[in-house]
Amino acid sequence: MTIALETKGLTKDYRSPVKEPGLWGGVKALFDRQFKDTRAVDAVSFKIEEGELVGFLGANGAGKTTTLKMLSGLLTPTSGEATALGHVPWKREAAFQKKISLVMGQRTQLWWEIPALETFKLNQAIYGIPEAEFKMHLTELVDLLELGDHLQVPVKKLSLGQRMRAEMAAALLHRPKLLLLDEPTIGLDVVMQKKVREFVKAYNVRNGATIMLTSHNMTDVVELCKRVIVIERGRLLYDGSLDRLVERYADHKIFKVRFSKPISAADLGQFGTVVNVADMTAEIEVPRAEVAAAAAAILRTYPVKDFNIEDVDIDDIVRRLFTHS
Amino acid sequence: MRGTIAKYSRIWLRTASMGMQAQLTYRLGSFGFLLGKMIRLLFFFAFVIAIFNHVEAVAGYNLVETALFFLTYNLVDMLAQIFFRGVYGARRTVTEGDFDFYLVQPCSPLFRMVCSTVDFLDIITLLPVLVMIGMTFARLPAYPWTAYAAYVFLIVNSVGLIFAIHVWAAGLTVRTQELENAIWIFRDVMFMGKFPVDIYSSSVRAALTFLVPIAVMTSFPAKALLGLLTPSWMAYAVVLSVSATVASTYWWRSCVAHYTSSSS
Amino acid sequence: MTKYLRAYSISLQETLQRRTTLMMDRVGGFAIVLSLFSFWNALLGDKSSFLGYSRQEMLTYVLLINVLRALVFTGRGWQLVGEISSGRISSYLVRPIDYYGYALALDLAQKTVHVVFAFLEVAILAVFIRGALFIPTRWETWLMFVLAAGLSSLIFFFMEFMISSLAFWTSESGGPLFCFELFLSFAAGAFFPLDVLPEALRRALSATPFPYMVYFPARVFLEKVSPTEAAKLIAIESCWLVVFIAAALSVWHVGVNSYAAEGG
Repeated sequence: MTIALETKGLTKDYRSPVKEPGLWGGVKALFDRQFKDTRAVDAVSFKIEEGELVGFLGANGAGKTTTLKMLSGLLTPTSGEATALGHVPWKREAAFQKKISLVMGQRTQLWWEIPALETFKLNQAIYGIPEAEFKMHLTELVDLLELGDHLQVPVKKLSLGQRMRAEMAAALLHRPKLLLLDEPTIGLDVVMQKKVREFVKAYNVRNGATIMLTSHNMTDVVELCKRVIVIERGRLLYDGSLDRLVERYADHKIFKVRFSKPISAADLGQFGTVVNVADMTAEIEVPRAEVAAAAAAILRTYPVKDFNIEDVDIDDIVRRLFTHS
Repeated sequence: MRGTIAKYSRIWLRTASMGMQAQLTYRLGSFGFLLGKMIRLLFFFAFVIAIFNHVEAVAGYNLVETALFFLTYNLVDMLAQIFFRGVYGARRTVTEGDFDFYLVQPCSPLFRMVCSTVDFLDIITLLPVLVMIGMTFARLPAYPWTAYAAYVFLIVNSVGLIFAIHVWAAGLTVRTQELENAIWIFRDVMFMGKFPVDIYSSSVRAALTFLVPIAVMTSFPAKALLGLLTPSWMAYAVVLSVSATVASTYWWRSCVAHYTSSSS
Repeated sequence: MTKYLRAYSISLQETLQRRTTLMMDRVGGFAIVLSLFSFWNALLGDKSSFLGYSRQEMLTYVLLINVLRALVFTGRGWQLVGEISSGRISSYLVRPIDYYGYALALDLAQKTVHVVFAFLEVAILAVFIRGALFIPTRWETWLMFVLAAGLSSLIFFFMEFMISSLAFWTSESGGPLFCFELFLSFAAGAFFPLDVLPEALRRALSATPFPYMVYFPARVFLEKVSPTEAAKLIAIESCWLVVFIAAALSVWHVGVNSYAAEGG
């Protein structure tokens, strides 16, 4: 397998001026500017093979978007290296740019007042796509994304879901081999999210394209990505299969118990962390190793009506991962 | 090279046509701006003519010559507006994230930032100016063809100089994500080019020639036509324009390398 | 009342904080004054008067333009257009303040800063021309000047607000506003005294509120209007103010209602 993406010690600092408050602070800053460096991405190294679909996870401000922006050549890193499809991204060579695309869920490249098709034609000129090829790709994208007549309508009249799909089409007209998706399903309703996901999967399989995607929506990650990379405060925290991530961090199970008379929360504390307690029901997180013993003890000590042992939600695991550190 | 030029003209025409389509959806707004610009042009022109009902000359120039200076200023200013319009929205382009797309696509981000927002209404306002310049030419004595050539050449040179200033301002916006004001200050100071540079006191004139070279952009072409500009001044104008353009492109590159994109 | 004072003081600080915007406005205005000043200076040459203005009076007129621009032509029309079209206006409508009073407080703060700067700039220019200016000695003149200028400042505020309120109905009210402001600058005499214009045009303009913005206060200052005439004109100006307050408020109410009816 060939490597599509590789980073070595990729680091990015943002420099921002520090200003004291007040009028005097403003005057001082005019002559003697103080700067503060914030490390957004800290020595991140990973390799992604061609055709892989990798989920990129992290809390807000963890450095996901900054990394994607460096990989697409938008930002120049402070230090470290990266190669994408054999190029150094931030040199912004045309040969590289013709093979990649960056889609940002909160941003649009479509012109607001006019039909999306116009922006598509602009991209045709920018990417130098021959007419026949353009028509072919367009038909295929319209079909896969169920765009129908939406491309003839001014973008401002489209719904968010329609616009996001048109956005995808605009980004994929030149058939990029590397696709960087930043929150592609943000703000969409459940049905639209599913459509976008199916499309991403299909594009990955059909074209053998390498895709890296960030999302707050765990369903996106679970359904699309076998492999995930997690970063936290700019540092690489985990790189591996999604299954292993669950195993490693789901170090407990959840007991859902219904009693036949009220039980005090303090009593239940001895078995694990009490997440939730109403007068007759309780939810307790119990460490994996103690599951059997704790279950036996609870059943023995209390009048239990109903008892369930559940796995932790993946959403929860990731949240825990971020609040942990 | 031919391919590149073809590609960039295609992109320019495409964005121009898209700009026009977008503008047509804002008929009232566009009409107001067009009318406003016309009013400004006509009022000032009427002002110049009215003045000369009462005096023979201003700073040694008669009506037709003063009109030539004024119209040349308008021509240069409008050419800049047509070709480098994008800079006036540079801050928006950066903060709304459009610049991110410019950077990942295989087309010079400088070109897209500076040149590819065309306003067709400005082209409409250019027409009366061209007609009026033609009328002024007819009223001036006939000059040798070299004078006309020098006029056209220096106008092109002015556009180059203005380009450099716009690139510099665009770079500043990319780097700091604010300060689009810089270009607006320039626009306001440009106002001083409405009149022949000779009306100003010697120190102001020096500043307008060397420091903020507005005189080079607006007065030089007209002076060259009237045969009042020595070859060494023309050479100065060309050297200034070329070095400013080179310097501003270096500045631009450094700004893009320091680009931080917007938050998130 | 306290809340409007509060708004005034906050806006005062903010205007000072936003240095680049302030500097841009001032540099731009100063460039205009400097070029008009130089133009008249060159035009007058060795003549003693032009259109009934002595050299001293004409140069004083140009400097007055700078002060009156700062006092009169700083409205909040563009902010209103922005707030309506972005929907931020709703957050004001639900609060227990009168948007008009609030905007006026902000505008007064802006005016305070700009007038102070305008005076400083004028003082610098006055030093350069060694005090060759017309300064009235009669206290009545000063009183009437302040009165006339204050009224015009308010008329402009309400007039601009009325046009900006178009934003309630169309997203393109920027066009008409731009057009209006350009037209007003000329018709008010903010570039040159209206005496330059042909008699018929001048008479037509005198039936409108526009000349009261700059031309009239400047002439009062220059004692070109007899005290009785000035008093009469100030009375007419007050009537205009009443007309525009009424018009602006009713447009505002209709606008707010239609905005609320559409649910913003």
